Amino acid sequence: MMGRVGRALVWHELLERTRDRWVIVISVLFALLASGVGLYGRSAEADVAKLTGPSLVTLASLLVPLVALVLSHDAIVGERERNTLGLLLSLPVGRFEVVAAKFLGRSLALTAAVVLGLGAAMLVSEAGGAATLMTLMGPTLLLGLAFLSIGVLISALTRRQATAASVVVVVWFGLVFFYDLGVLGLLVITDGGLPQSVVSALVVGNPAGLYRVQMMHDLAGFEALQDLGVTTGLPGAAATALLWCGWLVLPTAISGVLLSRRKVI
Amino acid sequence: MRRLQARGVSVRFGSLQALDDVSLSIEAGRAVMLVGPNGAGKSTFIKVLLGLVRPDHAVFESDAGRVSIDNAWKERIGYLPEAVAFSENLSGRQLLGFFASARGVARSRVDVMLERVGLAAAGRRAIRGYSRGMRQRLGLAVAILSTPELLVLDEPTAGLDQEGLSVLWSVIAEWREAGRMVIASTHDLALMERRIDEICVLRGGRVLAHGTAEDLRRSAELPHRIWLETGQSPEAKVELLCAAMRKWGKGRIERVGDRVLVEVAADETLELVEIQSGFPGVVQGLRVEEPTLDVVYDKLLGVA
Repeated sequence: MMGRVGRALVWHELLERTRDRWVIVISVLFALLASGVGLYGRSAEADVAKLTGPSLVTLASLLVPLVALVLSHDAIVGERERNTLGLLLSLPVGRFEVVAAKFLGRSLALTAAVVLGLGAAMLVSEAGGAATLMTLMGPTLLLGLAFLSIGVLISALTRRQATAASVVVVVWFGLVFFYDLGVLGLLVITDGGLPQSVVSALVVGNPAGLYRVQMMHDLAGFEALQDLGVTTGLPGAAATALLWCGWLVLPTAISGVLLSRRKVI
Repeated sequence: MRRLQARGVSVRFGSLQALDDVSLSIEAGRAVMLVGPNGAGKSTFIKVLLGLVRPDHAVFESDAGRVSIDNAWKERIGYLPEAVAFSENLSGRQLLGFFASARGVARSRVDVMLERVGLAAAGRRAIRGYSRGMRQRLGLAVAILSTPELLVLDEPTAGLDQEGLSVLWSVIAEWREAGRMVIASTHDLALMERRIDEICVLRGGRVLAHGTAEDLRRSAELPHRIWLETGQSPEAKVELLCAAMRKWGKGRIERVGDRVLVEVAADETLELVEIQSGFPGVVQGLRVEEPTLDVVYDKLLGVA
């Protein structure tokens, strides 16, 4: 249960983040590109689940993690660098609660960005397609929240905001672009000798991979995954929920523990 | 709270003993200034008091008994950090609004506080447009928002212009008059001297001296500088006066134009005044300079 300071901090974080120009720029860019995808799908008169949906998944898997990391990378280190972390923690609030409130406040800002982006695509897509695109909302939010949580952890581990910014860029490139290439590389090196369960585990071990696989499966069916080389070992609903929970909770929880155990602020 | 006493505060960071058995007490209606060179332990002491540094050992007591550095304690403290840089995206009013909610203070206090620190006109502007002094005043408004019993100020004079300093002095005076407490860490001894009651000098994590400015001056045993204005008095008579003082042999005497400078111990000042009274008409004016607190501080720290 969040106390008075925690609740105030949630709204403060939301207010502050929605005034961050980088967050605004990337969110608007996401909304513009998403509505572009929606318009393209409408003009092509293709099945939303086969064209617009998968295209939006690809777009969201690139931009939503970026929005989330931009939103969260300075959560702790930014306060420390501005000398306001001490002021914040001099309020009657626990350190863990501060981290949780920061995560929640920034989650609300992220939700606004995702709703804006996917909402724009739904508005311009053909009638009846909006319902299909609506199914993207939840998993896309989960993807963003997972990266938000990772960003909070980075902000708790680094000592300078510039370092945190550099690390999130590396993490973004790593998890969004290079991770899958790495898995493919492994397959090439092992000449396809890796068991499918290992490949699947590797793919869904990355929140961006988990999101892509889950959405491809939901939108285009199992055949689409087979086209990507994934044939077995996808997690069930419970395992998927557990994976998302892990990505959402663990990095933020570790951040809270790190801050709580710190001897000096 | 009538009294707060810290006993045996010790903090070690690895091989560095940041605070070593520091004890300090403060009474209601008093303002204590923490001074000392960089690394003396001033900020660490303040952070222990705020729960931002976990001490290896510390006992805090008030007149009501043992004090735990917990959330209930934090409700009673207001804090102005050193060189604070608030989020530039918000306005001063929005920032104070957050702290009002966090402190459980009525929103109406926000405008009162902005007025109090002279930022009423700038309250709706984004903080990115504030000068350093305005940001410091905003920090002060945050610190006093909930009218805390103990006001903790870390380098409060940094960046403040004359108007900002006036606001700071009035806040400190208000806190003393209302029987609340102020602890301020500073390097601006001369500026702060007249606004505080006690000075605690820290060095290497230990208390080097603690008392009123007068106590510290006495303990430093520095001479007073006494200027004797001789004006148009005949040279021969002035020389006679100097000779009498040299014969007295208790101070350093120097002629500076038409003035005579004598440096004597504080308790010998009256004796000097008596000597000069034996030369009527020669001394037309007399000015006594106490050693400044900066000089006293240097002496206490052993700085040449």
